[in-house]
Amino acid sequence: MKRSLFSIFTVLVLMGLILSACGPGATEAPAPVEPAAPAATEAPVEEQPAATEAPAMVEKTVVIGFTSSLTGSQEVSSKRQVNGLNLWMQQVNDAGGIKLSDGTVVKFAAQTYDDESNKERVQELYTRLITEDNADFLISPYSSGLTAAASIIAEQNGKIMITAGAAEDDAYKTGNTSLFQLYTPGSLYLISTVDMLKTLDPEAKVAIVHENDKFSTAVVEGLKPYLESHGFETVLEEGYASDTADFGPVINKIVESGATVLLGGGHYPDGSTFARQLYERKAGLKFVSLLVAPADSKFPELGDAALGVATSSQWELVATHTPEEAAVLGKEWYGPTGEDFAAAYEAMTGDKPTYHVAGGYTAGLVLQKAIEDADSIDPEKVKAALEAMDIFTFYGGIKFDTSPEAHGLQVSHQMVVAQWQKNDAGELVRQVIWPADVATADPLYPIPAPQ
Amino acid sequence: MKLWNRYSGLILPVLVVAALAVWPVITGKPANRESAFTILKAVALASSLNILLGYTGYVSFGHIVFYGFGGYVGIFLLTEKGWSLWTAILAGGAASGILAFLLGSAILRLRGAYFALATIGVNEAMRAFINNFELFGGPTGITLNFSVYRDFGGAAHALQTSFYIGAGLALLALLLSYIVRTSKFGLGLLAIRENEDAAEVMGVVAPRAKTWAYVLSAIIPGMVGVLFFFKNGNVEPHDAFPLHASIELLVMVMLGGQGTVLGPILGAFAYQGMRGYLVTSPIFKDIQLSVSGALLLMIVLFIPAGAIGWLRHRVPPLRRVLA
Repeated sequence: MKRSLFSIFTVLVLMGLILSACGPGATEAPAPVEPAAPAATEAPVEEQPAATEAPAMVEKTVVIGFTSSLTGSQEVSSKRQVNGLNLWMQQVNDAGGIKLSDGTVVKFAAQTYDDESNKERVQELYTRLITEDNADFLISPYSSGLTAAASIIAEQNGKIMITAGAAEDDAYKTGNTSLFQLYTPGSLYLISTVDMLKTLDPEAKVAIVHENDKFSTAVVEGLKPYLESHGFETVLEEGYASDTADFGPVINKIVESGATVLLGGGHYPDGSTFARQLYERKAGLKFVSLLVAPADSKFPELGDAALGVATSSQWELVATHTPEEAAVLGKEWYGPTGEDFAAAYEAMTGDKPTYHVAGGYTAGLVLQKAIEDADSIDPEKVKAALEAMDIFTFYGGIKFDTSPEAHGLQVSHQMVVAQWQKNDAGELVRQVIWPADVATADPLYPIPAPQ
Repeated sequence: MKLWNRYSGLILPVLVVAALAVWPVITGKPANRESAFTILKAVALASSLNILLGYTGYVSFGHIVFYGFGGYVGIFLLTEKGWSLWTAILAGGAASGILAFLLGSAILRLRGAYFALATIGVNEAMRAFINNFELFGGPTGITLNFSVYRDFGGAAHALQTSFYIGAGLALLALLLSYIVRTSKFGLGLLAIRENEDAAEVMGVVAPRAKTWAYVLSAIIPGMVGVLFFFKNGNVEPHDAFPLHASIELLVMVMLGGQGTVLGPILGAFAYQGMRGYLVTSPIFKDIQLSVSGALLLMIVLFIPAGAIGWLRHRVPPLRRVLA
């Protein structure tokens, strides 16, 4: 009896500890913004007296459904994407919502579940979002694999799904007509980096070492012919498992191959570990570019191991796109400036925005623009507006392929190359080093040898 | 009444699976259909594993390899060779059965912890092989074109059809489990579980019996793999061979009660039902992994013999019914 009571007591204490440990931090729900956030929409905020004089308006709350990876390997980037979307939603709701010509005021609410970075329940959760939670529009999960599974449910139910964090090209070439991609497709990720290398060191010997997953492999498949067409010699091509923790054997191969430049990586957990071990093993490379991980604001926690590591970035605050740029290109500008977006995000989270945050925010912004253009929340009209969209935001150009072969693939957005460098105060900062016309610093090439 | 007494061990599991299959039809809710599909898939996999784990007493930590391998073979034949879903499912099952026969001939010579370790190695080796096997798409796997669903009247009908096939496979798994459990072959397996050397002395040809048990436990997972990846629209190595899924299957079998027909079904229902509830519950959804872990800990602490074992111990009249 005493033993049973002790067991029950132990279990209850254990459960209490787990619940208290997980409770507040698990969701990373954004704190409410104290000062009024800048309006995302360009429409003026309706003042109180005007509202009383205006004809009666019907408020409609549009539910945006999505899963996010609160746990698992995609946790870091997925949470940032959701934070960006939440910021947009808060801003547009605070600004009074979207006003349609028929008097409807559209406001937004989010419904979300944890997909655990795992494909097993993604279809179940998206079906629930659509049929039980009555989601009107969908945002993709983070990562190409999860999005591929979710896209079938979107297509089945005729729901628009705006994808952020799903760069791999194949998902848009399946005959699906419901997906709309914000990111530059995976096959084009490292094109700018190769252009830069051609200028810096045409004789560079390249090692391609990448995570063996859908996204990273798609990036490499796009990279290889481009490297070859520019006359670069690829001395090593190697894939590694997503859960690799010891890169020693891979680094030995890189050193033995005589490579001077490393291109590759995958996602945050493996990329940050890879960068640290490259530094510790003194691999002696002139240039290192890794996917995803160096674009995160946690990356400088690696200290000197982060110095010189570059990444292909969908967006950087220091080289954010501007209305002037849009005017030169003859494109319609939409939404806040990058500085306003970043200030609002910092006020909300105390953190600087990464491209994952910007992607999440822009997913909402694009939906907002489509609803305004369609002057309706009817899915077919909004889809038509998305297909006709050709705009410029702080995040860059937004235009979708409308051909049956690659419907929804992003065709306007351009990437930049960013590199961790030290500023005058000796702090690590991410500088844009390519394309030259938007660069904020010269490339650090070759990167300093570890002490 | 005679029929009930004779087949109660089969009727109860069939009723549970039938109820799961009918639940979404009665409620008319697609969300329930998806939840029921996840549970039925687990029922089929756990019941199959039970043939090896529950009846034969061999712990396999890598049983998911058959689900992944069969799935890959079926999806390849479906997309690249234009086979129908039905024949692809059969081919997936056959491929897994053949793989189990070849593997079983080698690793079933091992016993206890050595066999368990070997099964982990098999799963990881297969994942590494598929990762580098270009015919199956290497690390990016195989993505289905939406035109595949046209034969079923579009994606919506394809998912509905997948559900019914899933229910059929779950039913097939429990029938197989029941037939093995009540056959002479099954008695041989139970004898191996209790004492392999003694079983051999009594005339059971242990290597052959174990190999066939391994083959039978692999066929349905291969078929389920084809169906799941067809429904999901793509297959990738890390989704096809997740080691944690093997461990979850072990938990389901032990939760319900290993060595019984109904046990793994109840275990799969309880485990996946609980996970499904917690992940969508407004209260628990942000801490669902912690809560499910704590609940499992409590179950293991207080009913280590599983639900069926506990019921049989506490309510003796149920011993005849709960086979």
